[in-house]
Amino acid sequence: MAEQIGKPGERVRLRLAQEEVEGTMLESHEPGIALLKLGSGYNIGIPREHILGGEVLATASVPVVQKRVSQTTGKPVIGMVITGGTIASVLDPKTGGVKWVASEEHFMQYYPELFEMVTVKAIRIPFKVASESMTSDHWMTIAQEVGALVNDPEIQGVVVTHGTDFLGYTAAALSFMLRDLGKPVVLTYSQRSIDRPSSDAHLNLQCAARLAIDTAAGVFVVGHATESDDYCQALLGTKVRKLHSSRRDAFQPVNTTVVAKVWPDKVVYAGSFTPRHTKPCVVDAVFSDKVALVKFYPGQTPDILDFYALKYRGIILEAAGLGHLPVSESSHSWLSTLKKSIRAGLVVGCVTQTVHGRVDPYVYSNGRELLDAGVLFLKDGLAETMLVKLGWILGHYGWKKDAGTKMLENVAGEFSDRLIGLNL
Amino acid sequence: MDYTRLGFKAGLEIHQQLDTGKLFCGCPGYLRQDVGDVQVMRKLHAIAGETGEVDAAVRHEAGLEKSFVYEGYRDSTCLIELDEEPPHLISQEALDEALRVALLLNCEVYQHTQIMRKLVIDGSNTSGFQRTVLLARNGWVETSFGKVPIDTLCLEEDSARLVSEKSGKEVVYRLDRLGIPLVEIATAPTLVNPAQVRETALKLGEIVRACRVKRGIGTIRQDVNMSSTGHPRVEIKGFQDMGMLEGTIQMELIRQQHESDKQSQVRQALPDGTTKFLRPMPGKARMYPETDLPLLFISLEHINRIKKTLPRLQQDITQDLLKQGLSSELVGLVLDGFVPLYTALVKRHVVSPVLIAKMITLWTREVGTKAGKTFDELTSVCTEEVYDMILERVASGKLGEGQVKGVLSAFISGKSLEDALQVEQVDDNRLEQDLRAIVAEKPGLRANAYMGLVLAKLGSGVDKRKAMELLQKIVST
Repeated sequence: MAEQIGKPGERVRLRLAQEEVEGTMLESHEPGIALLKLGSGYNIGIPREHILGGEVLATASVPVVQKRVSQTTGKPVIGMVITGGTIASVLDPKTGGVKWVASEEHFMQYYPELFEMVTVKAIRIPFKVASESMTSDHWMTIAQEVGALVNDPEIQGVVVTHGTDFLGYTAAALSFMLRDLGKPVVLTYSQRSIDRPSSDAHLNLQCAARLAIDTAAGVFVVGHATESDDYCQALLGTKVRKLHSSRRDAFQPVNTTVVAKVWPDKVVYAGSFTPRHTKPCVVDAVFSDKVALVKFYPGQTPDILDFYALKYRGIILEAAGLGHLPVSESSHSWLSTLKKSIRAGLVVGCVTQTVHGRVDPYVYSNGRELLDAGVLFLKDGLAETMLVKLGWILGHYGWKKDAGTKMLENVAGEFSDRLIGLNL
Repeated sequence: MDYTRLGFKAGLEIHQQLDTGKLFCGCPGYLRQDVGDVQVMRKLHAIAGETGEVDAAVRHEAGLEKSFVYEGYRDSTCLIELDEEPPHLISQEALDEALRVALLLNCEVYQHTQIMRKLVIDGSNTSGFQRTVLLARNGWVETSFGKVPIDTLCLEEDSARLVSEKSGKEVVYRLDRLGIPLVEIATAPTLVNPAQVRETALKLGEIVRACRVKRGIGTIRQDVNMSSTGHPRVEIKGFQDMGMLEGTIQMELIRQQHESDKQSQVRQALPDGTTKFLRPMPGKARMYPETDLPLLFISLEHINRIKKTLPRLQQDITQDLLKQGLSSELVGLVLDGFVPLYTALVKRHVVSPVLIAKMITLWTREVGTKAGKTFDELTSVCTEEVYDMILERVASGKLGEGQVKGVLSAFISGKSLEDALQVEQVDDNRLEQDLRAIVAEKPGLRANAYMGLVLAKLGSGVDKRKAMELLQKIVST
């Protein structure tokens, strides 16, 4: 086997046992296989051990200098924070690899419609990570960036682009961390990458920008309302969940209705909303990451609590139905361990693993026993939102002793008084 | 026409639908007549090219202002056709069938290859691209004028069917065809006259039909790439009728000679043998990897396994069928997709092979046409089991050969098979007595003329062949 001939992007001629092949070398994810783009445009793989020799015919061409999209004045002004995710990653046709959108200019070239609609005064790219790699540090950084943009009087609203997988958590974090928010902060995403003509990113971004210059204040998630490229829906940042792994309309409201339907040129609100105001936004970006989310399953013993009690300050339990766990009548009752952990200072909240609906301790004796043990019944709160809220509360110095009371306060619309029979 | 003097050169491209499920999802691969019960609306966007600029021509052609409406079916469309889920791994069934075609065409199979996305932004693909993979190369097909080289063989997904286009703004497509596997066979541009083009097309058609491929209008499409001295390459698409191939090429050559602005272009074959301009010849297809799928590896063991299951070619089968007493016309009908069924039935039932051939081809089609059934509907209803039951009755003497068509007719028009098989068992003596009575009532007519009276009196369930035989006997005595 000859040593590796050609780097990704270079035109090469490879000598094999019975023939010579010409093409452009591409990035290969399989170490033993060289990937080559033929003149026809098709890619083929060649086992590296079959390559006897060859030569580089031409080096990779220098990227063309990118033109800046011209921005005329007089349009509404927004700020943007780009954080990574599918919406900010593109396929590099030269090498065949997927890369992050490198710069502001790069982003403009992919989404010209957005920049025709609004003036983007500032684009912040604090980091580019897939959302599964984010931590609470990233949430706090985004909150700081968004807070700075929101407090710029010229900026009417902020659009945050984000990977879909854990977008719900970031939306919840921003909802708690941006206090007295008087402008729209709109998170959006894409489920289909922007290197395909059918990408959902275009409509999502335009509708996100539309909501960002509209009249409601708050943290919202905007994305496809249906499987069509028709209109988007605005969802409250504390009550939204990714409910499908691949559909465009993956994000749906839980225990609430949509805030608004959003088209690129109009917003139709479904009900009341918090109007814009000019009070400055206070960025309260603190977080204790000593919190955990535990999903109960049949037969699970309470030892798991002992593990968490050692290192953690609070846990959210995804209990069954109305908030049930095995109690006194069960062979593996959680009661005594719960009481012991809670006495030792562990904050324990429970939500329902049915996703939709509310927990209620009063219907069965099971719930009453848990309530007596000190478990917080977190109403219709979404598990992920409650985890973020608990971390945010415990991140505040001196709030610990009131953590229970604060967990049950409605800070950012995370609880609904009225549940109705829609969106199930 | 002196083709050599004109510098005529042509290559053929054949697209043949495989008769398997879809290429990248688990949906069935058949076309439907009913209107879909799922609709989505989409827009497509130009993709910034390698330089980051959106190509003006792409922007124009893409019809970026258009809305595309896709009709699907809850029971035969899934999220993959709707571009709402990543593709599944390539269908092994379709891959095996494409490899069979490749091996029958003496191609070398690429063992490592990559599934590509070919940008197509006319809306005929929900994703905005067509998935295609280069499978094989350097084959040949034998013809009367020598070997014609096969340059490449690809396996790709068919596009969605155009249903309607309203005022150029909204285009409606149906998703039943999207994703049906197609093999694309491209010959080298070495054909030097239209007769060679035609013969090569027929030969390739014959070879692909030895494999599991779809039949009927629209399931095979031929494109001809031709050039002549002083005229760059022109691609002619959409030949509906092989009979038109030579004529169309001749007329296109004449048109090329008289054209003042000789440009490379794509033209559509029209039923009258002329062609019309479709679009300028596209630049090199914009292709990039299907990033949702792994590299495709085809092992030597896999190729060898396929080699062992290659179907017999038509000429060998023809000899067998003629020996079994089928007329050459009937042989042609059986060869058109019915060989496996025919062979299985002949093996299992001690009845005349000619009856079996007629039943599964001529009669089923005739009765189906009368009942207004499509080819797909017929094949889904008239299963091997149905034919088995009918033939068992014939073999055991419970059903006359002449009654088979009537049974088929009743069954295809909606009766259950049990009901359809309930035809009156008229024994020959009883039938002869009845016929004699009818003839006695109105003597002096020809045998044919009595048939109407017989049907009116004895009902349409009567074994017509038998009745005709007896009538002729009675009339002649």
